[in-house]
Amino acid sequence: MAEQVPPVSAREADARVALDIRAFQAEGRLDEARDRYGEVVTRYQRRAARIAYHYLRDAADADEAVQDAFIKAYMHIGTFREDLPFEVWFTRILINGCLDRLKARRRRERWMAPPMLDPNGVERDPADYLPSRGPSPEEVVLSAERRQQLMGAVAELPERQRMVFMLSHFDGRSSREVSAMTGLNESTVRVHLFRAIRRLRGLLVTRAATDQGTGRSNRANR
Amino acid sequence: MRIADIVFRQGHLSEEALTTAILGGDRPAHLEQCEACSQRARDLSLWLGNVRAEALEAADEVFPPERLALQHAQIMRRLEQIDAPPRVIAFPAQAVHAPRTHSERRVSPAWVGVAAAAGLAIGLVGGQISARVTPTASVPAPAQTQQAEPAQVAPAGPVTATSQPVNASLTTDWERYVPEDLLLLDQATPSLLETQLASAR
Repeated sequence: MAEQVPPVSAREADARVALDIRAFQAEGRLDEARDRYGEVVTRYQRRAARIAYHYLRDAADADEAVQDAFIKAYMHIGTFREDLPFEVWFTRILINGCLDRLKARRRRERWMAPPMLDPNGVERDPADYLPSRGPSPEEVVLSAERRQQLMGAVAELPERQRMVFMLSHFDGRSSREVSAMTGLNESTVRVHLFRAIRRLRGLLVTRAATDQGTGRSNRANR
Repeated sequence: MRIADIVFRQGHLSEEALTTAILGGDRPAHLEQCEACSQRARDLSLWLGNVRAEALEAADEVFPPERLALQHAQIMRRLEQIDAPPRVIAFPAQAVHAPRTHSERRVSPAWVGVAAAAGLAIGLVGGQISARVTPTASVPAPAQTQQAEPAQVAPAGPVTATSQPVNASLTTDWERYVPEDLLLLDQATPSLLETQLASAR
């Protein structure tokens, strides 16, 4: 009877990869270390891009933040502790990088011209105003509006609430994982999450009501 | 069920309890029994699902697979640069530190300053000394040189009245210093002063 091999969890697999990379680096087999790390990058890249984008709301900034986080994780793989999941450790690096970028952006914006704002007061990428190659212009407009509203409302959340909401809801992390990623207490995470949801609902309802009112008045003016 | 829910909400669940239940926390029994609360839970769950779907769609639209592939390649390239040993660009061979010859040896700037100060001091002292010495320079020259002068400076042309005192003094001086051996010879030759006076008349 063949011995049953227990399935390796993602956490164990990550820990093994991290150990391999560390060993390769120590032995000077850098090509192999990089190849192994490439697997990790592939596994977490999309998730990292989502988190960074929701955090920074700028594609180029998010791209750089993700790259920097992966580079930093590779360079400090020696300090990775196997008792923590790699994902959690990496997310912490990514979030810290995003926070630094946000701070730098705020400092920069103090000295620069105000960004382009849409009628809801949400910053928009100038490229959004260009015609796109969407399937249906009406669908694209409605979808973009919905997303802009949502992203605008998320951006209005206080920083901690936003971080907890994004990690819990967008990324599907448990309160314990979010606690490990952010360094917040688990019960604090739950409180922040609840408050974020309540506030977000309030903001979106208010925005929808404002939009409807604006639409009615526009039609009346016509 | 919480006391607050019983007292303030007629036994219905609070938003917090509802959210906790939806997000995978404790699921109160009330939720199964109360149609209103289960409807609220469904609505909230649907709303949260929509929000999540919209947010993920927005992020995935910005980061399509092509962009992710490009990002992956950039990350790997940057890692390669980090791992590669740093290259040091060598300077041209001429610029390599060659031992300096004696003539090329650089003088310390401090010595230049010292030399300039010494030059200035020497100049000042020398100037002072020369200024004190200059008045004494008009002292008469030694007698031997004055003896030779009459023969050299003797005017060939007619003697004017203004030159007479000079000639007289020259004659006097000459007579004073003429050796006695030459006096006879002097007496045999006509006196310069007398000759000049005679010609002037």
